[in-house]
Amino acid sequence: MNEVVLTGKKCLLPAVGLLTLLPDRVKDNAIQSMAPGRWLAVKKVFLEAALVAVIGALFAFAANRVSPRGLALTRNYFPADINRPVPVATGAGSPSDVANTNPPASSPAQLLAVRLKEQGLQWVDGRQAAQLFHDPRFKQGSIAFIDARDELHYREGHIPGACEFDPYHPEKYFATVLPVCQAAEQIVLYCNGGDCDDSESAAITLRDVGIANQKLFIYTGGITEWTTNGLPVEIGGRNSGNLRSTNK
Amino acid sequence: MNTSQSSWNRTAADTFAVLARWLLGAVFLYMGLNKALHPVEFLKLVRQYDLVQSSLLLNSIAAALPWFEIFCGLLLLAGVAVRGTAVMLIVMLVPFTVLVFRRALAIQSALAIPFCAVKFDCGCGNGEVFICRKLLENFFFIVSSGWLLAGYGRNLCVRHTLMSCAAKTNPTGSAALPD
Repeated sequence: MNEVVLTGKKCLLPAVGLLTLLPDRVKDNAIQSMAPGRWLAVKKVFLEAALVAVIGALFAFAANRVSPRGLALTRNYFPADINRPVPVATGAGSPSDVANTNPPASSPAQLLAVRLKEQGLQWVDGRQAAQLFHDPRFKQGSIAFIDARDELHYREGHIPGACEFDPYHPEKYFATVLPVCQAAEQIVLYCNGGDCDDSESAAITLRDVGIANQKLFIYTGGITEWTTNGLPVEIGGRNSGNLRSTNK
Repeated sequence: MNTSQSSWNRTAADTFAVLARWLLGAVFLYMGLNKALHPVEFLKLVRQYDLVQSSLLLNSIAAALPWFEIFCGLLLLAGVAVRGTAVMLIVMLVPFTVLVFRRALAIQSALAIPFCAVKFDCGCGNGEVFICRKLLENFFFIVSSGWLLAGYGRNLCVRHTLMSCAAKTNPTGSAALPD
């Protein structure tokens, strides 16, 4: 078995050697405690790691840029993270039978309510969402349901007649969703329910492009509560007519 | 006899190291692809760690990390810059493991359940996992990376080392940090 010992300093590229960044005292002690060949080998490994890091980072950002699913680096994908309080509307277009009241104290629902309130958003519970769904105005387009999940989940089953609107790729959906939202008097947005905050992001995105805040209602229970309550879902595209009843 | 035993040990170690290199490469490639194909899901998971406040930084991490893992996976599979890549794996794996551990502790205290019963999607690329299994897995990956860093697994490499320096062989037999 042979040990390879590096000779000379031909391969030392001081500009890129990561260890050269160490303080002189630490570096000197480290160097003195190592055989010269070993020190060079260590340095070479770190140099190689630095190269892998730089080339890998360039590759990664380039791949993200080229990928059709790539992220836009400058976009804020979570607008709900920024507290931009907007007064909760109580006037026209916000019927008192729909706007929720305070949920019980010390519950996850209360935390959600506080969060929605901070965003200036209103919410509806399962009973109210079902009421709106069965309201004749839904068929007339005065009430709209917006599904804020991704395309795959939407196609697996959504509230019948709900529009697809993935807030992480809003540009894909504006053309179909905005006319529906502009025509509607009440817009119910939902995602999975529970910890999911995609419906909030969708609501804020729609608000940012000019949809009136008082029209927007978050269905906090989401599709999970909807199916648990035994309400029907539609498979495939919007108004596909392929309805499936869910068991209570 | 001792020489042949030593040679056999070395061959066995090298074989296992090559297998470990391929396994690490395949795992990083698979996990990286899983994340790169669902970048928004990965972005949401990264966000749960509360690492950074800036959306630009958060997006950059979520955008670059999966592809960087793919890059490292490919390098390991092909056997290019193996030791430099092993350093990068350790640099990624150690902080990831600490973060996952801290998050699991938080979940454990919130749910008041045994530590090993904690199960969540850590954003590692293979969905929900039990924390103890994940920590063991990461420990194995770190040890394997350390093994590659020590210079093993150089068989069947396209180019084990990127930098070619003038070298001469020393028949003394000690092989710390072989080049």
